[in-house]
Amino acid sequence: MFSEQIPLFFGFVVVACPTILTIVLGLSSLLEYKLEERSTEKLVYFATGVGLIASLIVLASMLIGGSRHITVELGQWVMIPHLYHFSVKLVFDRLSVPFAILTFVLSGTIAAFAGRYMHREKGFNRFFVLYSLFVLGMIVTSLAGTIETLFTGWELVGLSSALLVGFFQERPAPSRNGLWVWINYRFADAALLLADVVLHHFNGEGDFDQMLLAVSWPDGHSALSSQQALLVGLLLLVAAAGKSALVPFSGWLPRAMEGPTPSSAVFYGALSVHLGAFLLLRSSPILQQSTTLCVIIIIVGLLTAIYAYLVGTVQTDIKSALSFASLSQVGLIVAEIGCVGLVDPEWGYIPLVHILGHAFLRTLQFVRAPSLLQDYRTLEDAIGKNLDQGGVPLSSLGTRKAQSWIYRFAMERGSLDTILLDYVVNPFVKAFRWCDGLERRWTDFLSGESSRESDLIKSQLETIEDFS
Amino acid sequence: MNETTLPVVGEQGNIVTDPDLDQLSRMIDHVADVLPTQGPITVFIAQNILQAFEHHPFDEGMKRAATVLGCQPYLSEDRYREELGRARIRFSDLKVVLAQDLGGRASEQVAGWGTRLDLRLAMLEYPTKTGPTAELLWYVAETDALRKVRSDASSTARARLIAETRRWVMRDLRGWTETGPDGVRKQRVGNGLGELLDRFGESSIENWADERWEEFTLQALWKICRSGVRDLPQFTSPPPMFIRHRDLLHEATGADSDRLVHGILIRFCSAFLDQGLARWPLPRRDEGFFKSFCSLYGQPGGMPALWMRGLAAELRRLESEEVNPLASIRDSLEQLGVQPEEREAFLSATFLALRGWAGMVRQVEIRGDRAVKPVPPGSLVEFLAIRLLLDRFALKFKAHELIDFNGPLAELRSITRVLIKPHWPPSDEQRAFQLFQIAQIMGLSPDLLYRLDRAQWIDLMREIETFSGLERRRIFHLGYEKHFRTRALDAITLHSPLEKIPTAPPRFQVVFCLDEREESFRRHLEEIAPDVETLGVAGFFNLAMYYKGMADAHFTPLCPVVIRPQHWVLEEPGIALDKASRFRAKTRRMIGTASHQFHLGSRSVALGALLTGAVGVFASFPLVARILFPRVTARIRSSLGRFVRTPPITHLHLERTTLTPGKEGESTGFNLDEMTSIGQRLLSDMGLTKSFARLVIILGHGSNSQNNPYNSAYNCGACGGGAGGPNARAVAQILNDNRVRANLAKRGLLIPEDTVFVSGCHNTCNDTIEYSDLDRIRDSHRPDFSKARANLEAACERNAHERCRRFMSAPLTLSFSEALEHVEERAEDLAQTRPELGHATNAITIVGRRSWSRGLFLDRRAFLASYDPTQDDENSTILAGILSAVFPVCSGINFTYNFSNVDNIVLGSGTKLPHNLAALVGVMDGAASDLRTGLPWQMVEVHEPLRSLFIIETTADRMFTIMDRNAGISQLCRNRWIQLALIHPETRALTLFGDNGFVPHEAVATVLPQASSSAEWYRGWREHLEFAQIVPVNQVTT
Repeated sequence: MFSEQIPLFFGFVVVACPTILTIVLGLSSLLEYKLEERSTEKLVYFATGVGLIASLIVLASMLIGGSRHITVELGQWVMIPHLYHFSVKLVFDRLSVPFAILTFVLSGTIAAFAGRYMHREKGFNRFFVLYSLFVLGMIVTSLAGTIETLFTGWELVGLSSALLVGFFQERPAPSRNGLWVWINYRFADAALLLADVVLHHFNGEGDFDQMLLAVSWPDGHSALSSQQALLVGLLLLVAAAGKSALVPFSGWLPRAMEGPTPSSAVFYGALSVHLGAFLLLRSSPILQQSTTLCVIIIIVGLLTAIYAYLVGTVQTDIKSALSFASLSQVGLIVAEIGCVGLVDPEWGYIPLVHILGHAFLRTLQFVRAPSLLQDYRTLEDAIGKNLDQGGVPLSSLGTRKAQSWIYRFAMERGSLDTILLDYVVNPFVKAFRWCDGLERRWTDFLSGESSRESDLIKSQLETIEDFS
Repeated sequence: MNETTLPVVGEQGNIVTDPDLDQLSRMIDHVADVLPTQGPITVFIAQNILQAFEHHPFDEGMKRAATVLGCQPYLSEDRYREELGRARIRFSDLKVVLAQDLGGRASEQVAGWGTRLDLRLAMLEYPTKTGPTAELLWYVAETDALRKVRSDASSTARARLIAETRRWVMRDLRGWTETGPDGVRKQRVGNGLGELLDRFGESSIENWADERWEEFTLQALWKICRSGVRDLPQFTSPPPMFIRHRDLLHEATGADSDRLVHGILIRFCSAFLDQGLARWPLPRRDEGFFKSFCSLYGQPGGMPALWMRGLAAELRRLESEEVNPLASIRDSLEQLGVQPEEREAFLSATFLALRGWAGMVRQVEIRGDRAVKPVPPGSLVEFLAIRLLLDRFALKFKAHELIDFNGPLAELRSITRVLIKPHWPPSDEQRAFQLFQIAQIMGLSPDLLYRLDRAQWIDLMREIETFSGLERRRIFHLGYEKHFRTRALDAITLHSPLEKIPTAPPRFQVVFCLDEREESFRRHLEEIAPDVETLGVAGFFNLAMYYKGMADAHFTPLCPVVIRPQHWVLEEPGIALDKASRFRAKTRRMIGTASHQFHLGSRSVALGALLTGAVGVFASFPLVARILFPRVTARIRSSLGRFVRTPPITHLHLERTTLTPGKEGESTGFNLDEMTSIGQRLLSDMGLTKSFARLVIILGHGSNSQNNPYNSAYNCGACGGGAGGPNARAVAQILNDNRVRANLAKRGLLIPEDTVFVSGCHNTCNDTIEYSDLDRIRDSHRPDFSKARANLEAACERNAHERCRRFMSAPLTLSFSEALEHVEERAEDLAQTRPELGHATNAITIVGRRSWSRGLFLDRRAFLASYDPTQDDENSTILAGILSAVFPVCSGINFTYNFSNVDNIVLGSGTKLPHNLAALVGVMDGAASDLRTGLPWQMVEVHEPLRSLFIIETTADRMFTIMDRNAGISQLCRNRWIQLALIHPETRALTLFGDNGFVPHEAVATVLPQASSSAEWYRGWREHLEFAQIVPVNQVTT
């Protein structure tokens, strides 16, 4: 009895820590009670530290107790007994616990980094509010026992990421790129929500452990039929693609580098970019049901890896180069997950280890990005000559002409953004503008005069510049 | 200063025969002067950011820079008023500056309101609000503006305002009609005042409460102001109209065609300039910007954005017809309808739209010697050709999309001009509101205004409106500088007569760089060891060289940027250690290659997967350790790295045996004559020709910090962004050479046989000193050295302590040794955005003997160069030589910090936090932006933007001679880009350079504060400090 209580209690603690942190930091900002930099830092250290220790204890008790699967039920939101329910539930198993530990270690380290890096910055408090929101989102997502719970965390991550991308409000580029990230995320969110609805339609519930037939990850298989699995799986793949910047959504990842270095490091380099892969890993039983789905996932993953590698080779700024390097690994991880779906679920540990290793290495590279000049110099000095840049990839393949074409392709990032903008976003917006024009003509016609006051207002403010 | 290195105009890789194109090429070259002059960030050289405006007087230059570059010329008015509030700017100073500025016009009466001086002072002291007309009307209607006199007006002004209005109303306005001499009853008051009286209830006027009178007064005032300014001519000039199509279209519609153009141009520029960041270099880069771009984007296929439709075909045409870039520029200008007379302004604005990248293309083009991968000549012209081509496509697309304009681009400007709602002239309400506020401050009642005739109204409004925000800021700035200057000169006036000329030669002498960061170090050392003498000299110690250390891959120039070295110097292993050294170099190379491959591999697909999967998790150890425990981790790393470091014993290959200097083997180094000259010049510059101590320590300086693209900006400015250690080492080696000494003796400079020179390098970031060639110290001098070394180590701790008072994250209660630990940690901390504060707060440059400035607390704000006028000749040859290096170096540093502080967005590089290293040449904000030049906010936030105050120990005549001979110095002094004061070598009288030549400085202060030690004076205080005398209580000689 007691041995079951311990992991349960600490399971609560794991979630409670970021929740309380978010509430304290958020409320103090809302009430305009400005916390000192030092006290904010201490709070963050404390919350992540306790969270980390709690999750380590859960891990230890699982190892010692031999249980592979602990659920924490937090209640039902909607419930029709035996038929239909939306439940709030957390699961501690061999997928979620490592992921939660990863989150605490990385975000704790980055908090220490940011505390000094953001020193005396105007948005210091805002940064940490968003940071705590992000950590909360990450923890909820990793521990989620149902798709709807996962969705909650997923949303928090998306919101805080988009706001952090737009952190520097005084320039237009960050807000623009923040919006770009946000729209991509919303698209992915819609797919995830649809997947949840469809799953409820088939099963009456979105619980992962039911989906896994009460066997702990990575074993178990889903009760869905192959067709159902394909539909749900495709929706999940779209969600994952949006969140992990897989092809064709890859354009947002370099754009997300607008925020302060620590947030780009941990959020896009290391944690949130892996969320898509995590989602697929979490729903691996569904993958098992459909070979077609697995093949599609492998194709998307490999495409992304190749795309990101090619584009990455021509990037001339360190943050873009690192973000595409990240992306090519994420693509590989996704492809690995697809492969796991085709073979034994036990192989699921491979992508998991890959995620963990990649996250740590990339974070280290990201936080050291501004050091690149010194690092290059040190390396050059050690080697004693100019650094060999690595040379033209695929130099053995194709003519000079073909290479030049590929270079342009990579330079233009495969025109993915252009295609989305010119052929999806703009026509979409234009269609609505057209409807709007129609409505305006109608109302003008009906009222017999110009019916919109807002048309008359100039969007730009009168500026009073004084250089005379 | 790089005029001389510009390529010959027209040398664009192809022969220009067309005279029109030739002229265009000349124009482009001239216009490009407005671009930032910062080169690749690996070698940060501080110079005047506004060099292109230096030939104007300072104020005029700032005004022009503001118009051309769109930068702020001075701090904001609010900031100055804040300084006024905390007495950093004195009101009395403002009065003096303003009176000087106005000259005879100061005491003139303005429309019976008082003197011009009073009016302007009031406008300086009190801010006036303004805003869009709609906002003002709302403000007046909805707030207390017409009920209560503004709260910052003095109570006398308020009382007078109300009382006089009351008297005026009671005397003149009541019964608001009268019979005129012609017997016709007519209204006595106009302007709707009668109606106002009616509304307030004239009948009960004698019972009006005070509040009611106040309200009436303000309403009357507002009414009179509004009617008074009606139909007056405008006194402000309209803002300059936009000249670029993009700016007009942007103003008219809010859409930005530059966003399209810059997206592709930033990527391409970065690839073109890349010094080795990308794995895959730009194809056909060597053929130049134009050809490379044409061939890359001329390819068919791909998915070009809609706005780029037709671009590929056009580029192919340009390529196949071999169109000259200049001809393409001319063609674009014609298509855009740019008239020949507006070409210059148009091109300037076009360049400035992406100034960071354009400037970098130019710098790498003309200073190819400073880049690893230079670019071909003519690159900037080719950049412009491509830019205009892209502009055309983007404009066509946007104009079609937004205003459905499909005609020729030449007509676009006239069409958009019509769509723009002008912001000028200001409305009557805006003009009246300013007057309304000033009247309240000055306590001037409505009747005064009421009685003005039209001519007086014109006078009054002209006076108010021409004393614009810019003018006010200019005056504020003068006051800001005056207060500091007065304090500094007062301090020197009071302190310099107290100098003590030592009777015996000092125990040891230390030669520092003149850097203002060494000021505190020298002061602390002098406090610790009163029997030391310190000297300051430009930190390359008059030894200009290309240097390659044992562990370096390349030669780096170590000298001010104005000098091109003629000699190369190599560091070599000690002979006995040759083999061990080769082994170490081999190991170093192996580790280097391995980690480079790891770095590349982690960014590739397959190898990356293997690496991240297999060893990625272990990255958590260095990650966590380096971030949480930077100092300890650094120690562990350095002890692990010991076995590959360069051997402890090396020497400089200084002596050349071949005739001409070269890079290889025996041709490196100097011959005996050159060494002698270097030694002689250094010693005579410092005035160190007699009373040599037994031990002379020469200290260069450098800085080393983590995760900092601006690292080189913290290094020695006189070494062109390098560390001065090798220069110090070479000079010490030269001066220890007996043959050099013998030669010097022949030239009359006798170095005693028992004087030994030792060199080292002071790290200004972690405050440690690394000595070189210690094994060569004679046994007889070892005890002297170890005593001196102990003193220097103590000075390191105290210097770190003084620096820590400026770091908000360092507690004020640190002890000396804790402070040293704190700065050591800062240097190793990956997350530290302020490893040190660099040259921030620099404001003074002193050239003269240390004896009269010794013991004065200068708060790390003064560059200190030693110069002994008694040893100089008639023509001030020595001083002229010193100043030719001191002026560009010190003023360059001062300008870089000033302008980056005044406008951190346009002239500085903004906050460091989102910076992203691009192409290894500079930083961008976030994912993609223009290249940011100047210094980041974190480096300049504690700086006070003051023109450097040069205090030189010489006479006016001699200074004039130097100015007449050196155009650069003359321009800086005569155009007031610096402030110049002289201290007389004998009388110690201070004179200040102004319009009337040198005028004596009259000290205001009569006494200087005193403290028993520097720490005693600065402790517990983070802000700038007053100057003080450091008078030790018990001067004990150690």
